[in-house]
Amino acid sequence: MKKMGYVVLVIILVLLFAKACIRRDMPDAEIISGGGTEEQLSLNIYPVERKNVTINGVDYLQTNAPIGKFGGTLINSTIGEGPKTFNPFNSKDATSSTFADLMYDGLVTIDPVSGQYIPKLAKSFEVKGNDYIVHLRHGIKWSDGKPITADDVYFTWKNIILDGFGNTSTRDSISVDGKLPTVTKIDDYTVKFTTPKPFAPFLASLSTAIAPKHIFEPAVKKGKDFFDTFLSTNVNLKDLVTSGPFKLVEYVPAQRAVYKRSPDYYVINSNGEKLPYLDKITYLIVGDANNEVLKFEGGELDVIGVKGSDVPRFKERQEKSGFSLVNLGPDTGTMYLSMNLNNRLNKEGKPYVNPTKSKWFCNKNFREAVDLAIDRENMVYNIANGFAKPLFTPESLNSIFLNKELKPYPRDLGKARDLLEQAGFKQDAKGRLRDADGNRVEFDLLTNAGNAEREAIGVMVKEDLESLGMKVNFKPIEFNSLVNKLLSTYDWDMVVMGLTGSPLEPNGGKNVWLSNGALHMFNMRTPQEAGKNLLPWEEELDYLFEKGAIALSFNERKKFYNRYQEIIYNEKPMIYLYSPIRITAIRNKFKNIYPTTLGGVIHNIEEIYVDDTGAENGNN
Amino acid sequence: MEIIKYILKRILQTIPLLFIVSIVSFALIRLSPVDPLAELRLNPSISQETLERERQRLGLDKNIAVQYGLWAKSFVKGDLGITSNGESVAQKLKERIPNTLLLTSIVIFLTWLVGVPLGIIAAVKWKSPLDRILTVLTSIGMAIPSFFFAVLLLIFAVKTGWFPIGGLTSSNFIEMNLGQKILDITKHLILPVTVLFTVSLAGLQRQMRANLLDVLDSDYVKFARAKGVSEYKVIMKHALRNAVNPMITLLGFEFAGLLSGAALTEYVFQYPGLGRLILEAVMKSDINLVMASLMMGAIMLILGNLIADLLLIFTDPRIRTGGTN
Repeated sequence: MKKMGYVVLVIILVLLFAKACIRRDMPDAEIISGGGTEEQLSLNIYPVERKNVTINGVDYLQTNAPIGKFGGTLINSTIGEGPKTFNPFNSKDATSSTFADLMYDGLVTIDPVSGQYIPKLAKSFEVKGNDYIVHLRHGIKWSDGKPITADDVYFTWKNIILDGFGNTSTRDSISVDGKLPTVTKIDDYTVKFTTPKPFAPFLASLSTAIAPKHIFEPAVKKGKDFFDTFLSTNVNLKDLVTSGPFKLVEYVPAQRAVYKRSPDYYVINSNGEKLPYLDKITYLIVGDANNEVLKFEGGELDVIGVKGSDVPRFKERQEKSGFSLVNLGPDTGTMYLSMNLNNRLNKEGKPYVNPTKSKWFCNKNFREAVDLAIDRENMVYNIANGFAKPLFTPESLNSIFLNKELKPYPRDLGKARDLLEQAGFKQDAKGRLRDADGNRVEFDLLTNAGNAEREAIGVMVKEDLESLGMKVNFKPIEFNSLVNKLLSTYDWDMVVMGLTGSPLEPNGGKNVWLSNGALHMFNMRTPQEAGKNLLPWEEELDYLFEKGAIALSFNERKKFYNRYQEIIYNEKPMIYLYSPIRITAIRNKFKNIYPTTLGGVIHNIEEIYVDDTGAENGNN
Repeated sequence: MEIIKYILKRILQTIPLLFIVSIVSFALIRLSPVDPLAELRLNPSISQETLERERQRLGLDKNIAVQYGLWAKSFVKGDLGITSNGESVAQKLKERIPNTLLLTSIVIFLTWLVGVPLGIIAAVKWKSPLDRILTVLTSIGMAIPSFFFAVLLLIFAVKTGWFPIGGLTSSNFIEMNLGQKILDITKHLILPVTVLFTVSLAGLQRQMRANLLDVLDSDYVKFARAKGVSEYKVIMKHALRNAVNPMITLLGFEFAGLLSGAALTEYVFQYPGLGRLILEAVMKSDINLVMASLMMGAIMLILGNLIADLLLIFTDPRIRTGGTN
């Protein structure tokens, strides 16, 4: 019987038209408490101290992680079609960025524990007001043996990033009132950046890859169109010149990418040996999440991100199959419910949203009642199998800017009914909710079809709101049509969506929160409407995001971003539901694994080594 | 001479056909509500300027007739254009075509090798227990959906560990010697081939059986038997030659199937073939890639039919005289 159930389960998963089963009151306590996954994270404290040492005129970065063995392979995977480009400046998707990050180091990187920016390719940096002075390492080289100097940094910033080559998101994110920072070369190993105004998020942009000038310059000279195809996936891999710990040596489309260790990387262990330990990293390109799970179970994969609903299955085999589950805490992803507050008219002079409905959505009591009616705990247990945390703020739970003053609150139908009554809503004899004018409260709830998690949330929201007497027509629609409704035609009532943000930089969310932002979905304005009819709290959000970006100290910034979270918490244009908890499974043969919430499991890729090289290929 | 004229005529006929196919496909893709930029739009870090640039680059700012004109112009010149990620379409197809050809040609070869004899045996031994068993087996083969069968086999592979879980080559393929490489690919191919073979075998065996039964029932076969010709000769020389004509037409369609791939099976087994590529392209409305593959499918179908018709001319004298009149 159990086998049969398993077969059915996998079929359902693989067929992709799985609607998540919603089982109310499933006893999940065993899974959550029976764990040890929580401890796993805190057991290994990352020996973060890395220092610069100079040996024979070369500035190395020395780690004090335990010394390991050289050799071995780590097999990771990526879901989807694989990378679209190997040019770090052209990547627009996560996979291409991951593939580029292994090969090109940035000047700074994120400390995986504290979330502060620390030097990487740069030896050190100083921040003096609007000036960022970066000192480079002496004696480090590109993979073709040419030295990495200030010329490369200057060229990368001046000719690629600031001139708008490739993906311009870095450039967009550092422009302040339309003005860009400037870059100057001071000497061969020193570069200075100057922002037009104090601008805290600039430091983050220094983590952008640095390009080898002697390779990229000819491409830049041929213009932007050529640059868009430069280092595409059919480039001869021998032509790649890199600075990172690994270099791509084999790429088979739709199958895999194999990286080999760079023999001359600038990170060394405490014995002075050059890292990384691993000989190879292989990324398998798998089409969908279910196949990835099967590959992990079949031993073809070493690391995998585990969905909440898969955790019980993984737990069962954890000991037999020689891997561990690591709980990385809440994810940066957020699930939310949003109502359309747009009460303006479209080009034809018709309202975007039916005025009757619009009146409800623009009523704060109504939004609060919806919020109070939603059973977040139930979602966490039944959709994510307990591997999620209820969420009440727009900043994710692992954000260093999270406003901890904003307390969670439980579902409260009584209070929700009171609020509705105060706003003139009444339930009729049959329990149907009617507004002050006697209209039945009925609206559409949309989400993108095919996303099992969001569909499950939609069903639960519908049930929760129906207990207030509302009629909710839940319609999962095709992703593209949904985006079109949200961002172009604005004709929607309520939506379940998700966004990912940065746990380190709230300024990335400005597209959502600024009143003229391109993703200001809950009250989208056409370019003609920009800056008009602002709600008082929208005006305040605009102010907070402007100030938050130019304030320099963390504490000062925190004040602005605390207030923005408070506004969303009170006004509820977007009702946050939960954040999934990130669980990763990794085989036990890998050592020096120090998972952190911010960095994940293999953030210290150069320090990771394999303990039993003998059993390495034992799975085939 | 006649035959060359016939071929030329047929090729000329394909031009308006391809034109219509391309217009219909293009309109269908462009009129569907799929927005190729939806993914980018929802990315908070993409600016409006970037979006506008992408729109221009993909030609989405022009009206659909102009878009079609541009596409058709470069297609006629032999340029398949670039994918929405800026990679060359021709290059993308080139990467996948050998994989798909490998899979489909093995499947077609095996199906014909096994299916035709089985069909003949079933027809000759009509209503015998053997025929009945074959009928049941082929019924199962026809009834079982390919993706379902594929999923079952995949679970089998996971449970037993005898077969790799999808893909075409192992991750350490590059380090293997030639023998190991062949073995590795064979191991990866067994399951997808089994699925496609089972499904197409059923149809082919039944077709062959029905054709032969039809012919065996005809007067001239009765006459041949009455004349005292040996049963072997009746079937091989007289019946089979007539029964094989519909099969040749079928072969033409199979030829078209060579490059259209088997998207569902490829998807389940993560096989790096054309089917998966096209499926992904359709889902994000990658117009050049979709158009290139649709045109390729259409051309293969036309070509397959042409080849089948030519073969028929050789095998069937009746058509030969009919064709020249």
